[in-house]
Amino acid sequence: MRIEKCWFCSSTVYPGHGIQFVRNDAKIFRFCRSKCHKNFKMKRNPRKVKWTKAYRRLHGKDMTQDSTFEFERKRNRPERYDRNLAENTLKAIKKIDKIRSDRASDHIKNRLKTGKVQRQKEARKQLEQGIHLVKAPLALAQDSSLHLPKIKVNVSQAQTEGNQPMEE
Amino acid sequence: MVQYNFKKITVVPNGKDFVDIILSRTQRQTPTVVHKGYAISRLRQFYMRKVKYTQQNFHEKLSTIIEEFPRLDDIHPFYGDLLHVLYNKDHYKLALGQINTARNLISKIAKDYVKLLKYGDSLYRCKSLKVAALGRMCTVIKRIGPSLAYLEQIRQHMARLPSIDPNTRTILICGYPNVGKSSFMNKITRADVDVQPYAFTTKSLFVGHTDYKYLRYQVIDTPGILDRPFEDRNIIEMCSITALAHLRAAVLFFLDISGSCGYSISQQAALFHSIKSLFMNKPLIIVCNKTDLQPLDGISEEDRKLVIEMKTEAMKTVIGQGGEPENEEGVLLTMSTLTEDGVIAVKNAACERLLNQRVELKMKSKKMNDFRNRIHVALPKPRDQKERPPCIPQAVLEAKAKQAEEEKRKTEKDLEEENGGAGVYSASLKKNYILASDEWKEDVLPEILDGHNVYDFIDPDILLRLEELEREEGLRQAEEEADDFEMDGEELSPEEQEALAEIRKKKNLLIQQHRMKKSTAESRPVVPRKFDTDRKFTTGRMGRQLSSLGLDPSLAINRARSKSRGRKRERSVERGEADGGDAMDIDGNQASKKLRLRSMSRSRSRSRPPITEVVPGEGLKDSAQKSYSYIETKAPVLWETFHWKDRQALRHEIKLCSEGERSFTFYIKCLFKRFSDCRFCFTSRENNGVTHAVAATGKRFLLDVYWVEEAPPETMSLADADRKNVGPS
Repeated sequence: MRIEKCWFCSSTVYPGHGIQFVRNDAKIFRFCRSKCHKNFKMKRNPRKVKWTKAYRRLHGKDMTQDSTFEFERKRNRPERYDRNLAENTLKAIKKIDKIRSDRASDHIKNRLKTGKVQRQKEARKQLEQGIHLVKAPLALAQDSSLHLPKIKVNVSQAQTEGNQPMEE
Repeated sequence: MVQYNFKKITVVPNGKDFVDIILSRTQRQTPTVVHKGYAISRLRQFYMRKVKYTQQNFHEKLSTIIEEFPRLDDIHPFYGDLLHVLYNKDHYKLALGQINTARNLISKIAKDYVKLLKYGDSLYRCKSLKVAALGRMCTVIKRIGPSLAYLEQIRQHMARLPSIDPNTRTILICGYPNVGKSSFMNKITRADVDVQPYAFTTKSLFVGHTDYKYLRYQVIDTPGILDRPFEDRNIIEMCSITALAHLRAAVLFFLDISGSCGYSISQQAALFHSIKSLFMNKPLIIVCNKTDLQPLDGISEEDRKLVIEMKTEAMKTVIGQGGEPENEEGVLLTMSTLTEDGVIAVKNAACERLLNQRVELKMKSKKMNDFRNRIHVALPKPRDQKERPPCIPQAVLEAKAKQAEEEKRKTEKDLEEENGGAGVYSASLKKNYILASDEWKEDVLPEILDGHNVYDFIDPDILLRLEELEREEGLRQAEEEADDFEMDGEELSPEEQEALAEIRKKKNLLIQQHRMKKSTAESRPVVPRKFDTDRKFTTGRMGRQLSSLGLDPSLAINRARSKSRGRKRERSVERGEADGGDAMDIDGNQASKKLRLRSMSRSRSRSRPPITEVVPGEGLKDSAQKSYSYIETKAPVLWETFHWKDRQALRHEIKLCSEGERSFTFYIKCLFKRFSDCRFCFTSRENNGVTHAVAATGKRFLLDVYWVEEAPPETMSLADADRKNVGPS
């Protein structure tokens, strides 16, 4: 019983799920769901389809090379069973997983950092340039803090009362 | 080999069928249409072809029959004799001969008639010649009909003959009927011969095959032979005699000691002696069967004597072969097919004897010498005198020894049966595992964990690598923290954020407004907007907007108010003010849309007024406007009192009366007719506050409001003020 990888989107295929297609040259294509299967039948290249892992890795959205990937390797020779080894392995899997996901999220954070910096700069500029829309330069000259002025309205009480029936 | 496989002979049709087949073929395969108008040569050719074709077919078919049937002289004498026994050689030959003559006859007929056809002079003549030819051929075939039927019968029987190879190793079983030959056959081969209590159950030869020392032996079961003179024997017995006579085989003569076959030992012995001439040069074994009923030792003296006699005879054959008179047991054997006691021994003895004989013969023949010259067994020259025996590992020797002692090992199958059988017990596959510790045998390791295959991670030095990884990770995280710390600078303060949010909101608003204002085909009303239909440019709004920017609006408002002209009573403006009252009162497109719609509808309902309206600063547009506008602009209140229909009539009247500039008095003259009473008085502007206030108040209302016997409250104060100013008048 193995967990396989979907050929199209690289997600995990648990046993009992998905479809396996064997081509005439004996190459096996596994798909996690009909979405991927149908895309494959349409001859779409996963490297060009935005939501697949292949695309994301290719375009640097996700982490590609890391030492944590080397832990998981398909081994063809079975090892003799050793209880201690098995225990250690199970614990290690969890730790490795955590480390890997941390690194992946850091990778994404770093990627998004430049955007954040840029946005901050833009905001600052907009603030500078657009302050005249909310506070007149005259008022700004008098009071240089960014405290927004309040509206002064001359509305006498009687008038508003009289208008009530009109508003309908 | 053709001789031994009679199954391939084609079917011989009987006379009538034969004729039918050939004639129909002629009809189908030759052209059928002919007319008497054809050229004579063509006619002749047509019929000649038919005759020849028929003759050819007959010839072909008859030839195949003749060739496929075996010629008794050419095949192995065993088969020849067998066929003779079964079918009578003479009859067989005669039948074939008849076929041959028929063939020749037909050829002759065809030749003759073709010759005659060459000189046929009309269609009818040719046709009748052809008919005659075919007719004669068919008669010939009809005459040999019985032969054909006979041959067909023979063919069918021959196909069922057993395929006996006369040259290979053969064991022949013979004896009286019912002595147990067929049951012995069933025991040593896979043949399934009928075994019944009555005599002559086996009516023909049967072949089976058995193995001995990696060689295949034919075993032939014969029908029982009775003790009769040679000439009296029937066909069935003759079969076995033939087999005995011609096949070079080991002979097993079966003897029924118990006598349950119905014949005594003396009778059987007599038979033996009568056919012993047939046993020449054949390894003979006398087999005493049915020892379960009567053991060999228990028979009477005379019988024993007879048996001994037979044995000596058999011994002679042994000696006659040139072999040493070895074990005498090889000649006389006992067995019981029922209890399977000694059956294998008999078979082995027979096979052994036969093999030896054949080998000896082969050795004696000249061919062997040639062969022997070519063979040379090469032995390596001994290097030294050291003994080198075969090396058998100790474990194997021990295991062999143990196996010899041990009764029976307990197998898994036994275990399964003990614990409830196949469906209940499932064998523990893990119990023979070789692990470092025996406690681990029953451990179950999960194959899948958190979306990973556990087997992909198993590695003897996974701990080391994990440690390394964690160290790396620690370093990396420290670096990252340092980085993060640096990066923190550039955030905006909450005030700044608020301001930014306001800016963005404002900007969005502007964009929205622009989009609404933007004159696309959809948004453009059919009647264009001349004035501020949305009624947005009010001093109140301006005041609010300026104050929200932080400036003091009062100066600006005053200036705007002083400059503004007395506009018509625009009701929608007041309405606009009565709404939110904030500068941002186009919150959402909804309110503005309402305004716009209302303004649009208003513009629709006022079909005329727009023309007459004067844009401040633009002046009057045309004479018509000039003429209409004078009253409307100068005395809008007055103008409003007229019903719209009247207004129309009034305008028309004015137009009619005179063109060009009109004086104020002119208008008075036009209008006064419509009023019941008309009075003039002058009031200065400063004293006219009431009217102004009333007008202002009135503008605010959507519908027409009538003050009857009372004035709006705001105006009261003003009225007082005015009164004071004016004084009594």
